[in-house]
Amino acid sequence: MFEGGLWVLLLFALLLLAPQWGLVPRWRQQRWLRSRDAIEDALMHIHQREHSGQLASVESLAGALNVPARLALALVQRMEGQGLLRTSAGGLTLTPEGHRLAIQVVRAHRLFERYLAYETSVPPQEVHELAHRLEHSVTPQQIEQLDAYMGHPLADPHGDPIPSATGEMPEMEGQSLVDFPIGKPAQIVHVEDEPPQVYAQIVAEGLRPGMVVTVVERSPTRMVLESDTEEHVLAPVVAANITVREAMPRVAAPSGERLGSLEPGEKATVVRVDDACQGLTRRRFLDLGITPGVEIEVVMRSPFGDPVAYRVRDSLIALRREQADWIWVRRNGGGQAMHGEVKSA
Amino acid sequence: MTGSGESKYCESCALRDSLVRMGIRVDSFDYVLALMGNPNTGKSTVFNALTGLRQHTGNWTGKTVARMEGAFEFDGRRYKIVDLPGTYSLLSASVDEEVARDFVLFTRPDAVIVVVDATVLERNLNLVLQVLEITDRVVVCLNLMDEAERKGIRVDHRALSRELGVPVVPTAARQGVGLGLLVQTVAELVQGRIRTAPRRVKVDEQVEQALTELVPVLQQAYPDLPNARWVAMRLLDGDYNVRQSLESGELLRLARPDATDAEIQQAREHAPHILAHTATLQRKLEGTFRDRVVESLYAEAEAIARKVVHREGERRWDWEQKLDSLLTSRLWGLPLMALLLMLVLWVTIQGANYISEFLATGLFWVEEQGSRLFTGLGAPGWLTGFLWHGVYRGLAWVVSVMLPPMAIFFPIFTILEDMGYLPRVAFNMDRFFKKAGAHGKQALTMAMGLGCNAAGVVATRIINSPRERLIAILTNNFMPCNGRWPLLITMSMLFVAAAFPPVFAAAAAAGTLLAVMLIGIAVTFIVSAVLSRTILKGEASSFTLELPPYRKPNVLAVLYTSLIDRTMLVLWRAVVMAAPAGGVIWLLANIHLGGQSLSHWISGWLDPLGRAIGLDGVVLLAYIIAIPANEIVVPTIIMTYMGTGMMTELESLNDLRRLLVEGHGWTTLTAINLMLFSLLHNPCSTTILTVWRETKSTKWTWVATLLPLGIAFSLLFVLNTLVRWLGYR
Repeated sequence: MFEGGLWVLLLFALLLLAPQWGLVPRWRQQRWLRSRDAIEDALMHIHQREHSGQLASVESLAGALNVPARLALALVQRMEGQGLLRTSAGGLTLTPEGHRLAIQVVRAHRLFERYLAYETSVPPQEVHELAHRLEHSVTPQQIEQLDAYMGHPLADPHGDPIPSATGEMPEMEGQSLVDFPIGKPAQIVHVEDEPPQVYAQIVAEGLRPGMVVTVVERSPTRMVLESDTEEHVLAPVVAANITVREAMPRVAAPSGERLGSLEPGEKATVVRVDDACQGLTRRRFLDLGITPGVEIEVVMRSPFGDPVAYRVRDSLIALRREQADWIWVRRNGGGQAMHGEVKSA
Repeated sequence: MTGSGESKYCESCALRDSLVRMGIRVDSFDYVLALMGNPNTGKSTVFNALTGLRQHTGNWTGKTVARMEGAFEFDGRRYKIVDLPGTYSLLSASVDEEVARDFVLFTRPDAVIVVVDATVLERNLNLVLQVLEITDRVVVCLNLMDEAERKGIRVDHRALSRELGVPVVPTAARQGVGLGLLVQTVAELVQGRIRTAPRRVKVDEQVEQALTELVPVLQQAYPDLPNARWVAMRLLDGDYNVRQSLESGELLRLARPDATDAEIQQAREHAPHILAHTATLQRKLEGTFRDRVVESLYAEAEAIARKVVHREGERRWDWEQKLDSLLTSRLWGLPLMALLLMLVLWVTIQGANYISEFLATGLFWVEEQGSRLFTGLGAPGWLTGFLWHGVYRGLAWVVSVMLPPMAIFFPIFTILEDMGYLPRVAFNMDRFFKKAGAHGKQALTMAMGLGCNAAGVVATRIINSPRERLIAILTNNFMPCNGRWPLLITMSMLFVAAAFPPVFAAAAAAGTLLAVMLIGIAVTFIVSAVLSRTILKGEASSFTLELPPYRKPNVLAVLYTSLIDRTMLVLWRAVVMAAPAGGVIWLLANIHLGGQSLSHWISGWLDPLGRAIGLDGVVLLAYIIAIPANEIVVPTIIMTYMGTGMMTELESLNDLRRLLVEGHGWTTLTAINLMLFSLLHNPCSTTILTVWRETKSTKWTWVATLLPLGIAFSLLFVLNTLVRWLGYR
């Protein structure tokens, strides 16, 4: 009797939980099919493929969403019924309505990436993942608020354009770094994140959108760039994934050193606040009067070395190391600022 | 008040005689004034001096978060004055700044008084120049002239007035110097006897180009708009509120306050066209608009400051720097801080003891007299019991335990705050808090929590980064407030100290208290670290900490404000929260069902749960009743154990020990459990209410309530299961 009971229980559990055809997985699949996440992710995938010129298929969709082909097919049928996509000989294409929705998802994703990267302290490698989760749970109104809060930004942290509320993609001008003239300051506007191996090399070199670099040497096998802090050597195939344009004079000025590297007693003049520092922190800096040309004095360290107090425009402000490092300065008085050299205004 | 100061800044002090301070009577008035300024410029001092109110002014940034209103009468006219939050700028769209800006923009005060710090003129001018973009009815109050003089800084106020195109009045508000002239000037301005010609800042060519394109578009749609240039700037900057008011047509009210709804409906039609135009221009400016504007504002502020500020010598930061290098030194910074905190706590606990005893004697004497009077008048026993031994006793208990430590702790704290020491504490401690993803200022809100968690939660306003502020709010409860100290002290004396020889008893008790506090601090850090890495990951975050100059504390004012303000608050809280709780306790103890009191029944039901965490049903019942006020936990436990009809205290610790140990089987473990539960359990109802008021979010209020409770239960459950499993019990 007992053993019989055990079998019944096992069978029941199997019926309930078996992968693919168990009742619970089935229910979850059904729920997933109807979910906003599934539809939006599918829209993104098909949109991306359209953009790259190679149309999406049920198989590619299944791969991208990491679901069995059977489910991907069911999703495609569902979306076709909703008038979001069409199946043609070459693969899947979006209808105008589908296209419009896809652009909105892209917009939400890139706005969130920007928000998380610039306004919060989420580590860079987690930004994409978190943005991906958030993008499905917002209302259009929240998206508009986010957009306005950040001052209608044009690009996400990778330099990818953020579509406007009406769906227009901002034109990203620029040229490949591969054929940018030698010796002219160039500002990186976009870094392609595919293929990942190449992207990883770019990240490892510390190159990111907003940075100003100068090409100093070019040969068929390698390119040498100079940025504020160091020299970068890239293979041309890697450089081809970086888009640049001529830097405006306001960002092209040589940067000097980071404020965080100065010692108490030293004085320096602010060159600029790093372009990668955006959002809340940049606004605070501006409010406190940390603008190009202002004199800043390192006053004292806290007992544990961080934060450090600085005197700016006659008031004493404490900044943590990583914030001070956003501020580029030029030392005043040839390093001998310890003694005197005080200008009375 | 020095004679020379008088003659220099106060040409018309006699005017002050015709000033009638009206406090908060703001019902009818002829003019509305707004008070703006950077944080820490003495704005609130000006406000208090004009209205006769006693709003607390801390040496802090961001103190006045809610706006404060007051009134005064001058020359037969009534003025309402609104103290707006202190801000550095009006551009960065924080809540404070929006409150301040929207008031000036939409309420259109008859005059705006901008209070500026004469010792840091350049940075203050940034705000003044921004205000001048919005309105031309501005009077600049050049405050802290006395401090500037001490630092050898001379500001030529006449030249400043010429540069800005609005009147400038030098004052030293703490001494009351120059305020008469300020009021006089404001009066002349609102009556149109002073004409202003505010200085408007020119931004670089590209921005000006964009403005010359956008302003006519705006003016065409809204012909009467008084500050079209400013609105255009805000649109280019992507200001959400201004954009909204354009889309809803409300912007028309700026142009014509009497616009009808139909006209506003019509005005909405302009929005798409204007916004499209704005978007095109924004793209041309490549998202650098705000940088350019602020750079020009500061360039202008520098230019003005160079003309009007004269420095004599370099003695300005001398002693301050010496003090700073001592208080924040690697060697002395932390020990001095710890010493000071211990001193404050010692003075509080010792001092409170005396006052508490005194208060208790008096208040309980009143209870006795009251109940005797009732009995004498022939009132039924249950009425006397409920009112006097229930409601009144609960109230008296809470007042006598809670009031004294608060009345000592908060003034001391406020004096340290006024002197400018507390920001240095935040500076010293920030490294630890950074590791937990929190803000150094949390050290202060935690210290505040030692006095009262509700006050600690309110104090988080000084943390100006949204994520770090939430962390500070959600974890404040882990600092034991003064309502919990009596229990902790009693337990450590009864169970821990008693295990040591008498010589070490006091040290053992003190060590136990320290350990409890350290556990509270450890839990705070752990929970902060977990919160900042999980549910709070996506909240906005940024760190800046201003270290204001040291200032002589205004001791009398501090005593007055912190005593009167907080005392009233505490008394009020006692009435609202503790009195009903006292009533409930009496009812539970005196309503009998089947031969047993209600409290017995309920504690019986709660017993299994209580046993699971090494306590019992009575303790849990006491904690449920004590949600309004933790002070009554011990008396309620004693009451239920002894089966008396009212909250009770025992004469000697020995009696209490006998009751707990022999009567109800308490062990040292029980006492430790109780102390941990007291430290970690849910916040009191006042604190919960305060969390809701500060966060305006049901979600965070729930988290603040249930998170500590969950931690308390799970920690105690694990601890006691472990102990049982190891066979110690």
